Amino acid sequence: MKKKFKFRFSRKALAYPYMLFLLLFVVVPLVIILINAFLGDDGGLTLANFAEFFSDAGGGLTVLGNSLIIGAVTTLICLVIGYPCAYLLAKYHASSKVFVLLFILPMWVNFLIRTLSTKAIFMAIGVKLGMGTVLFGMVYNYLPYMILPLHTTLVSIDHSYIEAAEDLGADKLTVLRKTIIPLSMPGIVSGITMTFIPAISTFAISEILSSSKIFLFGDAINMHFSKTTNSFGVGSVMSLVMLVLVIVANVITSLTSKDEEVSSVL
Amino acid sequence: MKKFLSVVSYVLLLCFLLTAFAACVNNGDTTDQLVVYNWADYIYDYEDDFKTYYKEVTGRDIDITYVTFDTNETMLTRLTQGDSNVDVVCPSEYAIQKLIESNMLVPLNYFDKEAYTASFGSAVTGYVHNSGNIEEGIIDKVSDAFGNLVIGETGETVSMVNYFVPYMYGTLGILYNKYAFEELGIYDADIMNNANWGILFNDDGSGNLLSEGLTGNILMKDSIRDSYAATIFYMLESGKLDGLRNDDGVLYTDLSAGELINAVDDQLLEIVRDVLSEQKQQLFGYEVDFGKDDLLQGNAIVDLAWSGDALYAVEESWDDELGEDGDYELAYYVPHSTGNIWFDGWVVPKTYNPTHLTAIKLFINFLNTPESAAENFMEIGYTPAIRPDVLQNSDEARSVLSEGYLVYDPEYWDVVDESGNSLTVEECDYASWEEFVEYFFDGIDDIDGSNWRYPFLSAELNSSNDRNIDSLGVMRDFGSKNKAVITTWNYARSAGTTALPLLGWTVLAVAVAVGVLFLYILIKRLLSQRVILPKDSNDEQSDA
Repeated sequence: MKKKFKFRFSRKALAYPYMLFLLLFVVVPLVIILINAFLGDDGGLTLANFAEFFSDAGGGLTVLGNSLIIGAVTTLICLVIGYPCAYLLAKYHASSKVFVLLFILPMWVNFLIRTLSTKAIFMAIGVKLGMGTVLFGMVYNYLPYMILPLHTTLVSIDHSYIEAAEDLGADKLTVLRKTIIPLSMPGIVSGITMTFIPAISTFAISEILSSSKIFLFGDAINMHFSKTTNSFGVGSVMSLVMLVLVIVANVITSLTSKDEEVSSVL
Repeated sequence: MKKFLSVVSYVLLLCFLLTAFAACVNNGDTTDQLVVYNWADYIYDYEDDFKTYYKEVTGRDIDITYVTFDTNETMLTRLTQGDSNVDVVCPSEYAIQKLIESNMLVPLNYFDKEAYTASFGSAVTGYVHNSGNIEEGIIDKVSDAFGNLVIGETGETVSMVNYFVPYMYGTLGILYNKYAFEELGIYDADIMNNANWGILFNDDGSGNLLSEGLTGNILMKDSIRDSYAATIFYMLESGKLDGLRNDDGVLYTDLSAGELINAVDDQLLEIVRDVLSEQKQQLFGYEVDFGKDDLLQGNAIVDLAWSGDALYAVEESWDDELGEDGDYELAYYVPHSTGNIWFDGWVVPKTYNPTHLTAIKLFINFLNTPESAAENFMEIGYTPAIRPDVLQNSDEARSVLSEGYLVYDPEYWDVVDESGNSLTVEECDYASWEEFVEYFFDGIDDIDGSNWRYPFLSAELNSSNDRNIDSLGVMRDFGSKNKAVITTWNYARSAGTTALPLLGWTVLAVAVAVGVLFLYILIKRLLSQRVILPKDSNDEQSDA
């Protein structure tokens, strides 16, 4: 028996445009990157691009190492600054809407403009551009990404846990150590991922705030793909390495975080 | 799956209908069409002028579609993928070479006036080549540098000059802040002519620092080709190539400037890598297009620049408070030892629309009339490929330049300011056309002894010393060495940056923080224990 196909409009059909979008603009580009990574100059299949990158002939591994270190340090500084901020914001919740706004406000300004202004300020007060300024710019740009998930988790902590801990004789430090930090762990993990991943792949910030002197992994990928180089092969390998790093970071996140609501922010 | 397929087919159908509709609209037009593919910001506001010109010659109207690219590579990718139907393109010399070799260009025959003008009659004035508008030095230089090219597919040997009409040209040089140089005591013809390209490497020409004040104030271009050329020239003049031979056993020092910048091999790349890595200590950074601002704001003193950008920056840098009656803060320097000269030209890709041929030829011709050339000169700052004497003697060009440079030249323009008030001689920047010509066409810079706008003229003037036209090389495509060059560049860019100290400091900071925390907890524990333990005994004691 032949079944005649009939297009019936169901709720599922509403998802098709987006699925098509995903297919075209997420899956296809990834496949293209994968193919490019194995294409040689002559268009044949080759592993030369991988050899080129992993032999560190162009300093690619060194750049990756530097990026990872700078990304980790940025994340750490963001956490150290962001946690107390988020904690205070959450503690004085009722009166803090203005303050929360103050922390989010910079995100409304385009980050390129923010970074260029940061550079102008540094130049005006005579600070030498270099590692310090890049680090400052990264912390400045990624701090909101750390504060927001932390704030969300900290606000949602039931205050009675803290009261219970205090009733049981815990002092303030113990309450923080044994109650608040463990309960905000999902926020910490998701804050770290949300900061670390963009921080290791950043390129504009390091370019502007060091006058391109500090060359990070994002800059390297950018260079291989753009401008006058046209070296898509090695660039694709670098992108794949980046992708693997992101996946690893996400796996670690999902392993450590049990609260799916927060981690799904990603 | 079936559902999915049907959705896809609907979308495809929709796309098809839309395209068909768009095509209909295009076909319905009665005016002529032309699709121009050019660098961004690389032409003046030509559209109305060209439409008038086109109407004059052919009696028809024309619609121009103007598309831009930002690098030769973008343009090459687009053309090789064949996804765009452009009629006329303006690549740089090495990209033209690539296009010819991959059999993608139509010969223009513009040396043959009959063939060239056949499609639109012989009424064309300012005909591109025969009328002698084009600087012949360019044609010669291109013939010398590229010789005969072999088309890859057919094996045919052709001459590059038959495939493109020169548009703009210029040199690679050094843009610097002359007042900063004066302060450092190096604004001096002898010192600078000794250093040459060494200025970019803070080398006075004999291996010593040119000036300590330059350290951290040098900008390099974030462009492989230009930085490579500058580095190679520096290597040559600083003796780093002495005694070295290329694969054919020829001394590098025996090669001409043109041969040297095109002789890309592993030995050279290794030295380039080391030189660039070492240069990093002297750099303020690498710039893409903020160089001019950094120089004017005093963030940096020296920048690698193309003549057109440099001239634009120099003219922008006029400051009334400098010198006696104002002066330019910046200046351009073309090193004396060796240099790079480049050209951009109009070519016609094989994918052009044959019905647009008349428009294509007229467009190219139009851009080589003195009037358009003068407009372009004003707008872009690069030197048009029109001979300077043709520009000087053309009334139309004179009007344009007089107005643009505020020359007191009442016979050629109204001499009014923006709001329409007449200007006196004193209010104009140049009191007469002759004064302007002296500055613009005949002006020779004291330091580098050249006319920045006209490298061929400068070469003629300097033919007595080593600075003749042979010392300017045309750069070809890196070809099969492209990848090796990128690797070298990547290495040089990443050199000298290490985050290890940062890691060290962070680990130290974390260790200290954790230590302090533990200490705090420990002390607190001990204290609280001490308070609790003796408490009981104390109570007992006091009881007793």
